[in-house]
Amino acid sequence: MMTLIRRELLDNLMTFRFAAATFIMLLLVVANTFVLIIDYERRLASHNDAVKMHQRQLQEKITYSAGEVRVDRPPNPLSIFNVGFDKRLGNEVRISHRVVPSLWDAGMHGSDNPFMDMFASMDIVFIFEVILSLFALIFAYNAFAGEYESGTLRLVLTHPIGRGKILVAKYMSAMLCLIVPLLISLLLSIILLTTSTAISLNSDDFLRIGGIILTSVAYLSVFYLIGLLISAATRRTSTALMLSMFIWGFLVLVYPNMILTVVPRPESPDALRTSAFNQIENIWETFDKERKHYLATDDFPGEDWGYELRGLGSRGANLMGNSQRLLYTYRSVMNFEGFGEKDEPKMPHAQKHFGFLGAQTIDAADRTWLIRKPALEEIFIQRADIERIYLKLSPVGLYDAATQAWAGTDLLGVRDFFHAARQYRQSVINYFYDNKVFESRQWFAGDKGEADWSGLPQFSFQRDDINTNAKRAIPDVCLLLMINVVLFIVIFLIFIKTEV
Amino acid sequence: MWHIAKREIYNNLNSLRFALATVLLLGLMLTNAVVHLREHPERVQRYRERVSGHQNHIAAHAESSLYDLAQEGPGNLYKKPSDLRFCAEGGEAFMSDRAQAGYHRWSTDTLKSFWILAYPSATPNRDNVRPDVTKVDWGFIIGYVLSLVALLFTFDSISGERERGTLRLTLSNPIPRHTVLIGKFLGAFISVNIPFILAVLVNLLVISTSSDVHLDAEAWGRLGIIFCVAVLYTCLFLALGMLVSARVQRSAVSLVTLLLVWVVFVVFMPSTLASIAGRSTSSGPTYDFSERSWKLHEELSSDYYSRHYKEPEGSTKRIEIDGAYVTKDAEQQEQLHEERLNRRIAEVHRARAITRISPVTIVQNLIESFAGTGFERHLQFLENVQIYAREFRTFIVDTDNADPESLHIFGVRTGMSQEPVSPEAVPKFEDTLNLSKDFNTAAMELLLLTLFVLVLLSGAYLAFVRVEV
Repeated sequence: MMTLIRRELLDNLMTFRFAAATFIMLLLVVANTFVLIIDYERRLASHNDAVKMHQRQLQEKITYSAGEVRVDRPPNPLSIFNVGFDKRLGNEVRISHRVVPSLWDAGMHGSDNPFMDMFASMDIVFIFEVILSLFALIFAYNAFAGEYESGTLRLVLTHPIGRGKILVAKYMSAMLCLIVPLLISLLLSIILLTTSTAISLNSDDFLRIGGIILTSVAYLSVFYLIGLLISAATRRTSTALMLSMFIWGFLVLVYPNMILTVVPRPESPDALRTSAFNQIENIWETFDKERKHYLATDDFPGEDWGYELRGLGSRGANLMGNSQRLLYTYRSVMNFEGFGEKDEPKMPHAQKHFGFLGAQTIDAADRTWLIRKPALEEIFIQRADIERIYLKLSPVGLYDAATQAWAGTDLLGVRDFFHAARQYRQSVINYFYDNKVFESRQWFAGDKGEADWSGLPQFSFQRDDINTNAKRAIPDVCLLLMINVVLFIVIFLIFIKTEV
Repeated sequence: MWHIAKREIYNNLNSLRFALATVLLLGLMLTNAVVHLREHPERVQRYRERVSGHQNHIAAHAESSLYDLAQEGPGNLYKKPSDLRFCAEGGEAFMSDRAQAGYHRWSTDTLKSFWILAYPSATPNRDNVRPDVTKVDWGFIIGYVLSLVALLFTFDSISGERERGTLRLTLSNPIPRHTVLIGKFLGAFISVNIPFILAVLVNLLVISTSSDVHLDAEAWGRLGIIFCVAVLYTCLFLALGMLVSARVQRSAVSLVTLLLVWVVFVVFMPSTLASIAGRSTSSGPTYDFSERSWKLHEELSSDYYSRHYKEPEGSTKRIEIDGAYVTKDAEQQEQLHEERLNRRIAEVHRARAITRISPVTIVQNLIESFAGTGFERHLQFLENVQIYAREFRTFIVDTDNADPESLHIFGVRTGMSQEPVSPEAVPKFEDTLNLSKDFNTAAMELLLLTLFVLVLLSGAYLAFVRVEV
């Protein structure tokens, strides 16, 4: 067995294809890692700028109602391996008691030249996707067909060794050869990553990279086995080669790009959208009624929500909705720097009103979210998930999905941030309640003490630990492994029955 | 020579690769046609609706008064969708389909800012959580799939014969070597083009028989040019395949080499080079621009307010100061927007120049420019918009000059003509595609592609002449 492996290994190692594979892999991975690191550093710098700017903008606001807390999503350092949704989805979101933040309310800060986005960027997993599969097929196409043509297969089989052992030996040695360039190039890129000061990888990150390597090996093995299958089935190198190349072209180039255009796109669920939006509108109409009712029945005459305050400053209020994103909110902002003599007696009334309004708004926003969340889920997520399943019908799609999950740049990973943002909103609201911010004078006026933003709880987003990544990645990795096992068994059966 | 070509063709027609290539190309082209027929009518419909909306907008303001029209501007101008969108998607998703000729920033109790020409960026659909895939257009089919097919047809054309020993046989005949090479080239060329032509014909048949999409004579001409570009591009890969095949002893080595060259030049080079070029750009974050714009406006305003209140109310002098303020402000801001646009365009041009090392980028750029999509087309649209903006402004000035009651002071209601304007007289925006302009932008790339082909062909010739059998 060992002799067999050694023979195969030597056969493979001393070839032109092995040298070429290693060289090209190193070249591409190193060149792209450089570019990707620079790109990541830029995004990190832009993130830090945005955080600072949002802090500054918040501090400048003298009333609580005018202040807008914004939180920013830091770029994921593992996006270098698989960028996934990290660059595509919004990376800043407004935290306000008026609306529960979600992915669909996020904005984007970034480069000033949107035209540059038309140049596709490439991550390391994409390189592996294309190159590894190609190499695996190139290594496999003549494994049986070549020996069959040159007659050595007959020679080998005359020895008293089981056919299964020969198959395993071939598989093991080729995989060893293929893993070498993979590991060397990954090692180099990790060394490059650690030299960059902007990127700090913790132990969990290394485990995630380990997961990516594991998935890459499984992916590599799938393509090697496909090549082996073709080689065992066709018995002629030239046919095997042709077939392998076309199958490679189909699986890697054509299928992922074609499948989504071939399957009919599901209709946008307009009925669901309208019914959800109507319910949300109802919530806010009731809210508006209660608000007006309060204004009409409180001790203060008149129905002006601003209590006829005439000061130096600005005020504004509106109810607004967006039926596309099922967003509805009431926004009232007051930003006064000073008041006239006559306004002072109105203050307690106004403060009481804003206290009432704050609680009402939070209640309406929370109830909106209960309707909005499942609706958004069905309108956007479910449809996209169906398409993702179509992509996963090819090993390339599986590999992509699994590595995204490991890197935490998949949709779920990005949505974790918005989950954290929602929790942060709750803590901001609690802080507002605890400090009676809604009833305070600083809610609408900065003349007697400005809004104090320093006590606000700090937002920090930590990516989930490795367990979550593993939980999301394991199903796809398992599928890849299963494809491996099935292919191996089929090859074994074919090889056993082969007549030499 | 013809004899050799014929032999090659017969050999290829019976082979597995011919069948596989035909199926693959047919499948892709058919998908492309079906998708185009599904999406294009919607696109055209949307464009028509928007254009009529734009004309209603002009009419409404023209009927009010000349000042309203001059202050409001012509509104959004839309890019006409190309009928040949199925040839090249051209990154249209990253380019806005409109220009805002009616961008306003502020208004006070007495004054309103004049319209300026702004260039909004395409708003990427951030609601979109669907997986991201490349569109299967002609550019993709030709650039990636056809080039791979061409390599698979030629990798063993010489080395394979050498392995089998038939090369020696062929060369022992009294035929000069270049004739053999040309014959082989022709044979491979024809056998690659048969499936391609078949696929293209099926694609065009499906598209042209549909009643929703009309292709006019010019579109057919453009399609012809695109087809020629594709053929030239296949020649490039055929020549490359022959060159490597002649140099290398064994066809397996030849194929590995060719595939590696193909992967590097076709799959990786375009994006890696573009990323390298793109990362060296100097544009700062988005909010820098808004801060600069705000600062310019503030400076102008403080200067204005200091002079405005010195003049008595209602005097012509005061109206003049008001008008100067509004027009100067619009001028400054528009210049700022244009500078930003030009800077962005220059960056893209730099990045695109570098990516031209890869033949696939060249061919995709060429297909884009003849299909009327992509970046060069976007620049043409922006130029059309700028020309129209000038025309519109000249029209306002001329109409105002024709009104004897007007004070001819732009920027203020009291300084300008109050007469309504007939909506028919207002110039209309029409986005046009200009074939001769496309030729100018494409000439360089065509030349480069031809050069590539010639170099590789002569390389293949030299290699083959010196082959020892």
